[in-house]
Amino acid sequence: MAEAVGTAADVKGAKGSLPGWLEISLRFAQQRPLGAAGAVIVLGMALAALLADIIAPGDPQVSNYALMLRPPSAEHWLGTDSFGRDILSRIIYGSRTALLIGFTSAFFGATLGAVIGVASAYFGGRVDLMVQRFMDILLSFPLIILALAVVAILGTGTMNVILAITIPMIPRCALVTRASALAIRETPYVTAARAMGFSHTRIIFRHMLPNVMAPYLILVTAFLGQAILLEASLSFLGLGVAEPTAAWGLMLRGAAVEFAERAPWMAIFPGVAISAAVFGFNLFGDSLRDALDPKLRMG
Amino acid sequence: MKLRRVSVCMIALASIVITVAMAAEQPKAGGTLIFAVGETPPSFDGHRETTFAMLHPLAPHYSTLLRFDADKYPKIEGDVAESWTVSRDGLTYTFKIRKGVKFHDGSLLTARDVKATYDKIIFPPEGVASARKAYFAMVEKMEAPDESTVVFRLKWPSASFIRQVASPWNFIYKADILAKDPRWYEKNVMGTGPFTFVEYVPGSHWVGKKNPDYFVKGRPYLDGYRAIFIRDTAPRVAAVRAGQALIEFRGFNPAVRDDLVRALGDKIRVQESPWICNMTVAINNEKKPFDDVRVRKALTLAIDRWEGSKALSQISIMKPVGGLMRPGSEFATPEAELTKLAGFGKDPEAARKEARRLLKEAGVPEGFAFTLKNRNVKEPYEAVGVYVIDQWRKVGLNVTHLPQEGGPYFADLRAGNYETSIDFNCDFMDEPDYQLIKFISSDKSPINYARYKDAVLDELYEKQSRATDPKERLKHIRQTEKRVLDEQAYTFHVLWWYRIIPHWARVKGWPITPSHYLNQDLRDVWLAAE
Amino acid sequence: MQRYILKRFLLMIPTLFGVAVLVFLLLRVAPGDVVELKYAGVGAFVSKEAMDQERAQLGLDKPLWRQFMDWMWGIARFDFGTSMWTGRPITYEIAIRLQLSLQLAIMATVVAVLLSIPLGTIAALRQDTWVDYVVRVFSIAGLAMPSFWLGILMILGMLIFFRWLPPMFFTPFWIDPWANLSQLIWPALAVGYRYSAVATRMTRSAVLEVLREDYIRTARAKGLWEKLILTRHALKNAMLPVVTVIGLEFAFLIGGLVVTEQVFNLNGIGMLFVEAITRRDYTMTQALVLLVSFSFIVVNFVMDIVYAWLDPRIRYQ
Repeated sequence: MAEAVGTAADVKGAKGSLPGWLEISLRFAQQRPLGAAGAVIVLGMALAALLADIIAPGDPQVSNYALMLRPPSAEHWLGTDSFGRDILSRIIYGSRTALLIGFTSAFFGATLGAVIGVASAYFGGRVDLMVQRFMDILLSFPLIILALAVVAILGTGTMNVILAITIPMIPRCALVTRASALAIRETPYVTAARAMGFSHTRIIFRHMLPNVMAPYLILVTAFLGQAILLEASLSFLGLGVAEPTAAWGLMLRGAAVEFAERAPWMAIFPGVAISAAVFGFNLFGDSLRDALDPKLRMG
Repeated sequence: MKLRRVSVCMIALASIVITVAMAAEQPKAGGTLIFAVGETPPSFDGHRETTFAMLHPLAPHYSTLLRFDADKYPKIEGDVAESWTVSRDGLTYTFKIRKGVKFHDGSLLTARDVKATYDKIIFPPEGVASARKAYFAMVEKMEAPDESTVVFRLKWPSASFIRQVASPWNFIYKADILAKDPRWYEKNVMGTGPFTFVEYVPGSHWVGKKNPDYFVKGRPYLDGYRAIFIRDTAPRVAAVRAGQALIEFRGFNPAVRDDLVRALGDKIRVQESPWICNMTVAINNEKKPFDDVRVRKALTLAIDRWEGSKALSQISIMKPVGGLMRPGSEFATPEAELTKLAGFGKDPEAARKEARRLLKEAGVPEGFAFTLKNRNVKEPYEAVGVYVIDQWRKVGLNVTHLPQEGGPYFADLRAGNYETSIDFNCDFMDEPDYQLIKFISSDKSPINYARYKDAVLDELYEKQSRATDPKERLKHIRQTEKRVLDEQAYTFHVLWWYRIIPHWARVKGWPITPSHYLNQDLRDVWLAAE
Repeated sequence: MQRYILKRFLLMIPTLFGVAVLVFLLLRVAPGDVVELKYAGVGAFVSKEAMDQERAQLGLDKPLWRQFMDWMWGIARFDFGTSMWTGRPITYEIAIRLQLSLQLAIMATVVAVLLSIPLGTIAALRQDTWVDYVVRVFSIAGLAMPSFWLGILMILGMLIFFRWLPPMFFTPFWIDPWANLSQLIWPALAVGYRYSAVATRMTRSAVLEVLREDYIRTARAKGLWEKLILTRHALKNAMLPVVTVIGLEFAFLIGGLVVTEQVFNLNGIGMLFVEAITRRDYTMTQALVLLVSFSFIVVNFVMDIVYAWLDPRIRYQ
């Protein structure tokens, strides 16, 4: 069954004449076409974000009141919004905001979570119990509610939104990595490192963390999609990124809906952008999960 | 001769048309009016609340002493007062109360109830909040010499007093209830209005039904009404469009109006009016470099209001350009005079040049960065924020927009924790006492967030408020306006709001007014056949 | 087993207490307060003294520890106090919204189960064929579309193409089942679709795992369906994670539908939550957080017990 193969190690073993990374990618694409499709979407988005200054046809922030609510045309492929700003440019620049927020919060959320999870598993006993209780407390808040509370305290704006999204992700990652780390803790490898008198920090960072890489990577990709959605929800509620910054959720807010009949392009395209991005990340992450660890299950 | 016959004929024809129209407009009794409300009421007490979300569902349960005649705004007429007289010195107002006005519990309304109501508003007991108490500073005391007479004695003659007792917020409450528990009305309803209370499901809907004992004969026309609370704009618009709500009384933006008209044609009737609400830029006069009048003046000069009006009126509820008093009101500054004020001129390029010069003179560098705080409400707050920032960019200022939730937004405004901020004001009537109080020294006015002290403005305010001669009053108002907006540029209006109510044409007898707080008792509203 | 249950049960208490402390502190740290917002209305001209008076009435002038103790003492007597915004009892305000939220959560769960179990099973049985791919794309798309956007498109679509809109206010099921369902079915579909995505994926991997069991692999001669039937017992265990996911998601649906409720104008717990937080209605927010956390913790507790019952090793850990 195809499910059995496809771990990174297996692919490496079958080295051909192509460079290693290309070989791996091709293999991945062949065995997991869905994952490859996801990767393509993600790559496209990353390129758009990187090259926004070059490829975007206009400035995403400058209003032009002579060009309000124009339908898609040769000059404005996706039309203009209620301030006369080019929607395509705003979507392209919006990918920057989405990736910035998505990556930063997924990375910090997963990393902090992994460190806490692993440390908690490593120390065990009372520390573990305390940490677990605290994580339980955070976990029992719905994601969006915790994010709302953080924004209520810190205020809106890109940086605060990143924090608001990162914090609820930490306990979710800690939970998963702790489970993986518990298994590693008892291996002779870690016991030996302990016997040799290595410092706790060294054991955690050098010996245990690398071993939870698989769940960690899977979590990062899963969080990326979630972070983008959460950012969109917060911006939609007016608690996220501030005008006139280009951000997808923000583009869907207010006017986009009120003008939906007269200017449906305002409500449709940003929504498509969000869906496509999250779709890409999830598709890719899903296949990555299957590839890295077919047994690993998570919500 | 022939000509005359034709004209006679035409007159005859015209009168037929008119009578036909009149016949068609004969009010019809019955039916339930369903309307949408964009917020939920906090408490039920009109004396303490400040939101339309309390007025729209609750006003039909109550009467006030006087009321604005919606057809002839700003004319006032009696509500529970039958008539009133003013003493020659302007210090004593005597109101005659209608006989036979009944509370919904069947008891009769007397002068005692009116006095108790105004005692609660003007001299609230310990622990009872009264939102508009400060506006009644001129009242010394009230008396109820007999069952149907209420006398107000003032400390000084006031130009605004008589209109203030027509305030839609000043519901007449029952004295016996207030005596027992002055906070009873926060959670209960007992009035003399055209509709009695049926049900309130918090967050969902409010239901009222016809008061058969209402003191105006033949009113109300409706059997009842139902207010449904729809917080988000999109479903609120959808509800009107689908006919689930026949009207929304606050107002929609022009795009929604166009969509509704296009989709429903002549089933929709549109009423529009300038609105006694405006968007303001508050400037923190204590922070550098905004303590420099040249910088503040540059900020107002940079904003092209006429162009802004053209653009923003297509996408938002902002439209009229005006000074401190609503354009179109009896107190408004004529356009010819208005355009002489900084930032209100019609030559934007010259104004921008002047703004750049002033900035340079004040030592503000090109690309100077500061923040504009705002409330995270899409419209009209964020729309005007985006506009102002764009305008300031054109004179070389680099401004960051910081929209905030209501809580921190108001906290920051009050505490002066901002550089510049979008601010706003809304009143139920055109009245300088109301619209100008924002501009007296900030230690005297809790709603002046610009943090300056100016004895000249304080004096002007008092003078205009006590002026008995309208001309003299107008003079003081003009002086205030020139000082606030031009000479000192402490803080300034951007645009006034424009109220647009697209509603089902079946809803009759509800003429629009310049305020969404007025004319909400629904007593003259009726529904035509579908 | 009893000891385990008791231990797990007692562990719920510190967690709930921790939630209470955390939400209490978070709210007080957030800038702005309910009094500020009450008088924020336009045209208000309220002095600082009047506002301080109002604060005193709400008990906001008391020291923090005192406010916390008052709250705890109230909870101990099942008295959650009154809303700082409306002044009405919190239990009354919540009860009104809970009806709708519970019903919506149940309907969305039904939609999710009806979608995910058959889809997940068929995807596993036809692993790596187009059927599998279609199912996966369908379910991942559900995860990817912001549910508020889906909701907006649904409403606009119905309005523009069918000139019809679901009712904008809630009617209890026993009063008018038709009005009730025609309002709630749409959000239930939008939310249930999204929520089915995770469950579909879990079902798929659960079935795959069972199919990989040795004795199943050897039974090559049999058809896939027969294999499944053969392993009903194994499947039951493998499906536990699916049940967990559905259970936990159910707990979150009660308070977490913040944006969807706004789009469909549902007077539910999620909407109340946002309003309470943005109005700085401390008492209401605290009660809501406790309610949502409590339902989540209880679901967790039940799941733990079920696991322990099925797998005795857990009990002795």
